[in-house]
Amino acid sequence: MSTPTVLKGSDAAVQNTNDDAQISKLSCVRLGYFKDDFIQYFVRRASRRSPLINRGYYSRITALRHLLYQFLAAGHDPATGSTPPKQVLSLGAGFDTTWFQLQSEGIAPARYIEVDFAEVTHKKANIIGSKEPLYKLLGLDKGGEIDAESGRIVTDQYCLLPADLRDLKALEAALTSVGFQPELPTFILSECVLVYMRSQDSDALVHWLGRRLPTAVFVLYEQIKPDDAFGQQMLMNIESRGCPLLGIRGTPSLESHVARFRNNGWQRAEAKDMNTIYRDHLDPQDKRRAERLEIFDEFEEWHLIQEHYCIATAINDTQGIFRNYGLPENESIHKPLPCAD
Amino acid sequence: MSDLDRWIEQLKNCEPLKESEVKVLCEKAMEILVEESNVQRVDAPVTICGDIHGQFYDLKELFKVGGDCPQTNYLFMGDFVDRGFYSVETFLLLLALKVRYPDRITLIRGNHESRQITQVYGFYDECLRKYGSVNVWRYCTDIFDYLSLSALIDNRIFCVHGGLSPTITTVDQIRTIDRKQEVPHDGAMCDLLWSDPEIRTIDRKQEVPHDGAMCDLLWSDPEDIEGWGLSPRGAGYLFGGDICANFNSTNKLELICRAHQLVMEGFKWMFSEQLVTVWSAPNYCYRCGNVAAILELDENLSKNFKVFEAAPQETRGVPAKKAAPDYFL
Repeated sequence: MSTPTVLKGSDAAVQNTNDDAQISKLSCVRLGYFKDDFIQYFVRRASRRSPLINRGYYSRITALRHLLYQFLAAGHDPATGSTPPKQVLSLGAGFDTTWFQLQSEGIAPARYIEVDFAEVTHKKANIIGSKEPLYKLLGLDKGGEIDAESGRIVTDQYCLLPADLRDLKALEAALTSVGFQPELPTFILSECVLVYMRSQDSDALVHWLGRRLPTAVFVLYEQIKPDDAFGQQMLMNIESRGCPLLGIRGTPSLESHVARFRNNGWQRAEAKDMNTIYRDHLDPQDKRRAERLEIFDEFEEWHLIQEHYCIATAINDTQGIFRNYGLPENESIHKPLPCAD
Repeated sequence: MSDLDRWIEQLKNCEPLKESEVKVLCEKAMEILVEESNVQRVDAPVTICGDIHGQFYDLKELFKVGGDCPQTNYLFMGDFVDRGFYSVETFLLLLALKVRYPDRITLIRGNHESRQITQVYGFYDECLRKYGSVNVWRYCTDIFDYLSLSALIDNRIFCVHGGLSPTITTVDQIRTIDRKQEVPHDGAMCDLLWSDPEIRTIDRKQEVPHDGAMCDLLWSDPEDIEGWGLSPRGAGYLFGGDICANFNSTNKLELICRAHQLVMEGFKWMFSEQLVTVWSAPNYCYRCGNVAAILELDENLSKNFKVFEAAPQETRGVPAKKAAPDYFL
């Protein structure tokens, strides 16, 4: 695809948001919000973020991780003790370290595929290739293929692929080249990615995935509510970083996120803002632990910013393994499992 | 031109003072502030301002809207520092005005005027960045300990940064000061002191304690509840309309005026106009998109809110353009 030249600067700025996100995640890790032994390798200059930013990343990562674990456990057969093989497709993955964490916990799925701009995957492949703990975990010392120049890593379990998400033909070719299996249960992760694309492009991507993947969960985290005072300022500030939220007008609300999925080949969808998720869907005990980590004096702002982010999930479930899929309600988190008698 | 007038001119241009000058300014300020009561008496007319948070160019906008000091008599209800890019210049300008015109500007303490909070929310880092040492932070935080805790306008309007305390029923309880008493600065001893219901005195010249009356005055929030509630902030309390009404009638007050909470419209009435929140940091943290307000009281205590927006981008200094506000990206 010939990318319009006017978007070049914006593409670079979108890529920079990756660095910012990794710095924030490392800030959280150092303060004890969550564990990530691998993020340190992807941050050049660490910096402590404000408590609001730390708590926001905590809520996002905790919720997304819960959804991922639930996906990985879906379809578990108690009789055989086995779960069907699954795959993850991470769109605009940046320097995300999830695969390394899953692998070190021994619960990585059959396949984990990350896709991003070539400039990003090039840097990521370079880092992975130069850090022993990373390439050893990947087994790159024993086999697999790493081409840092083109930003490509292919092993049996993990793939890093350069692709422009606006170019579906190229994306399909990239996925096909590593033996992507559309019929496997697939978890699609998209954190602050689609919102930077024009709606026509992100709609097409959602549609293409919805039509191709019969058993899949699409989990998306991004900004909403561009029209109130906070939202208008958010648009201006993010635009002044050089990466306007090109897609937010197409999906400005929880309802519009649900409708977009429903209209583009997904059977079910739901969306909740991060205030609701933080209040009703995170483990209260862990939340209390996290809330004690730092002084926190940004409550009004906290509610404002969290109200402007959402997690939307969409499901295609031909195998019927995602019937109860979704974030748990607070009160059910610690309920003992019912006895099977 | 005296040093002080020169400093004020310099600070009005958002140029920080030299470390040695800050030291002198703080010494002069200490002499004035130590004489002030925990409940500083203020005469109307006066213009009441809420949180500023180092938003220097928006403070200049505030003076444009409200008039210059000393022509206008000002009361600032704390939270001068943290969050914004110019806590040093903002606080030093207000402090220099205080020293120059002690009867025309009143500064009371906010919960961010504290050693602990400023180490998390930016003022400490800013001092270190701008001076290469933490001496200026030390001078300033020492001054914080001398700031008054509240103000009483014509005996009718009680002004405080946060709100009320379950250990305080009368304004006199805040007023009583035992200066001779040595209050230890560390937590446990301090807590013991505050926990004793017999001791009703507040030695304000200390770091803000983690609980007790002084803490509550700086941290509490009004809420649509009855009685007292636990604050999600982990310090201070939530207090309901009944608490506010009781306090006002006991002390023959018509209004509690406080800051502490961002309100998108700049001010917010609560409890049948027995309490008002005034917020004076427009587009708070360069992120919230809110307007700000100041409350003008004339000699008859008639109220006039003046609402204003953030200073236009072209009038701001370079860092404001460079540093992007944080989002989840």
